[in-house]
Amino acid sequence: MSALAWLGGLAYFTLHWARVAVRCRPPPGQTFAEAYKIGVQSLPVLLTISAFVGSNLALQGYNAFAPLGGQRLVGMFVALAGVRELAPLIAAAMIAAKAGTEMASQIAVMRTREQIDALEVMAVNPFWWLVTPRLYGILLVMPALTLIAVFTTLLAAYCASVFQLGLSGATFLEFVTQSTEMRDLATGEVKALVFATIICFVSCYCGFYSEKGPEGVGKATNQAVVVSCVACVTFNYLVSQVLYG
Amino acid sequence: MLDTLAALGRFGRFAARVTWRILTPPWNAEDFHRHAWTVAIRCVGPVLAVTFPFGMVIALQGLSIFDLFGAQRLLPSLISVAILREISPVMASVLVAAQAGSAYAAELGAMRIKEELDATEVMAVDSLRWHVAPRVAALAFACPILNTLGDIGGLAGGFVMSVWIQGENAGVFMANLWTFTHVGDLLGGIVKTATFGLIIGMVACYHGFHATGGAAGVGKGVNDTVVRATLCFFAANYLLTSAFFSA
Amino acid sequence: MDEAPVRIVNVHKRFGSLVVLDGVSFDIPRGQTTAIIGPSGTGKSVMLKHIVGLIRPDQGEVCVFGTDMARAPEREVYAVRRRLGMLFQDGALFDSLSTGDNIAFPLKQHHPDLTARQRRERVDEVLEMVELPGLYDRPTPALSGGQRKRVGLARAIVTRPELVLFDEPNSGLDPMTSDAIDALIGHLKETLHVTFVVITHDIVGTINVADHIAMLYQGKLVAWGPRDDVVRSEHEIVRRFLGRNLVLPEPGTAGHARLPSM
Repeated sequence: MSALAWLGGLAYFTLHWARVAVRCRPPPGQTFAEAYKIGVQSLPVLLTISAFVGSNLALQGYNAFAPLGGQRLVGMFVALAGVRELAPLIAAAMIAAKAGTEMASQIAVMRTREQIDALEVMAVNPFWWLVTPRLYGILLVMPALTLIAVFTTLLAAYCASVFQLGLSGATFLEFVTQSTEMRDLATGEVKALVFATIICFVSCYCGFYSEKGPEGVGKATNQAVVVSCVACVTFNYLVSQVLYG
Repeated sequence: MLDTLAALGRFGRFAARVTWRILTPPWNAEDFHRHAWTVAIRCVGPVLAVTFPFGMVIALQGLSIFDLFGAQRLLPSLISVAILREISPVMASVLVAAQAGSAYAAELGAMRIKEELDATEVMAVDSLRWHVAPRVAALAFACPILNTLGDIGGLAGGFVMSVWIQGENAGVFMANLWTFTHVGDLLGGIVKTATFGLIIGMVACYHGFHATGGAAGVGKGVNDTVVRATLCFFAANYLLTSAFFSA
Repeated sequence: MDEAPVRIVNVHKRFGSLVVLDGVSFDIPRGQTTAIIGPSGTGKSVMLKHIVGLIRPDQGEVCVFGTDMARAPEREVYAVRRRLGMLFQDGALFDSLSTGDNIAFPLKQHHPDLTARQRRERVDEVLEMVELPGLYDRPTPALSGGQRKRVGLARAIVTRPELVLFDEPNSGLDPMTSDAIDALIGHLKETLHVTFVVITHDIVGTINVADHIAMLYQGKLVAWGPRDDVVRSEHEIVRRFLGRNLVLPEPGTAGHARLPSM
């Protein structure tokens, strides 16, 4: 019941923002500042995690196919599992953990310090001021980050296959190129935009209606990342089902 | 660079002191039970909500590979290998880091800001032993349990996708489920997640315990916790996978 | 004359480039109430945290019951802490425990031989002393600011410590509640006969409860001595801080200082 009320609140929050957003242009300058911050802050984490995911994927693929004598299939396994599903999803999870929690905790701190009330008193619409630049910013950088995650995953998988498992690099690349198309990358980008929207609205909403004080900030941050992750995995399934099913 | 090294050193010292207190009595058993139970209850929903659709997606993508070879029989074993070895341990741990890890960082951070930890020390109670050790131990204990539940959720997702949606034969699915997996995979997942739980607990409690700077500081600690804990256990995951499965 | 319970010898402390304590020395006398006063940001709370061993001095030493809090091994520091109690600024109560369990916490830790019933009796007794009878089961987030302080105080004295420290007992309280807390401290001082250290910038309250006053200003001890001497001191900074209009009690009487009536 409270979950339903929470979802209702989120929907109301989103609609409220949309009503303001169609009427006003975003606060000038801030969108690019947010985009820069989200992109640059998340990049090192994203690269590291994607590298581990890619190399692990190669190891696991090798182990899964070795009993079949199909070590050569590692390239295909990495391409399908990594490019289509894992890379975009892991990118989303890390952006939720890094940028999403930051949005939630910043806004929750503003709530604690009564700065959101101050915005309202100063007749600045807080939805417009807080959500708009963050949303446009994350929408700008997320597709690029996803693309970077995809290629890092592939690179790491290639390195693990060739240097750790001693497979042929040429065969690996052949299977990768055979089993991926432009359509897979495009799907990844669609997913990136969906995930970005989810992460932004969920995180801002959690921060906006947080309780005051340090516990409130902690709770909002916590809630933001958990709900974002669960929602992204669920929507990932829906998008995959529609585009590949 | 030097700052990073110094921080790593501080973390190492913290981890060693907490480990000592987990291994030696007296133990705060009451809080351990309470925390372990709370973590399990709070994370089980999110873990299932993530592994179930993940199982469905693996089935969906797996079918598209095996259709090429006419080898649909292999699908269930692919699902069980992927879920037991990798997906469920990793996803359960991501969610434990996001849900319980960040909650611990926030709780301990708030206790630091409100001087509750100082008060504990002033009352001559070892705050690491009393507040931190049971939390870390609870995570290391609850993570494998959540992982096992996640296994079940993921396999159920795969079953629903293959049998109910794609119309594979249920008997064939069940018959082929365990072709390539054995008890070792389940145990490997349990060892992995116990390690991840320990890592998450240490990172989270470290950030909470050393929080400074009021509410904003707590928020930052929570933020750092999720990211760094995830980074650490992905690294550990790669190392453990290399150790267990690659010969 | 027995040794002072707290000896502070030439303590220096800096945070980064900010010098907080710059060579402070004084002994806190046994069985009396010492107030450490001074404007905000002069290192009063830092001084207090040195006494309980939460902060280590860069130089100098702080001895409590003869133990150097900065250099003694952890076990000895804890042994000292069992003999003291401290009231934190906002009470520092555990939100996860009820009021009574908060107060019982140090008893449970350090006196495991007590039965639950004995503990309960002891807690009810101190609740009575801080004038909050019957609040045992109240959750701590539901307490008011003044109540939180009283519960914090009850927790500080429940183990019958020899030394009780107060960090800003009056901060954030309205004048009436603040007076009530001062009266409570004065009352406890008479009934418990232990050493009190009070940190405050509330002048009137301080002067009523203190036997000795130490004044810190920009990290230095500018005045130290029996109350009446410090209050009558002609030191420039002391006069500025106390205000020239304070009405003082006659020396040697139990009269109360007050601000001039309007």
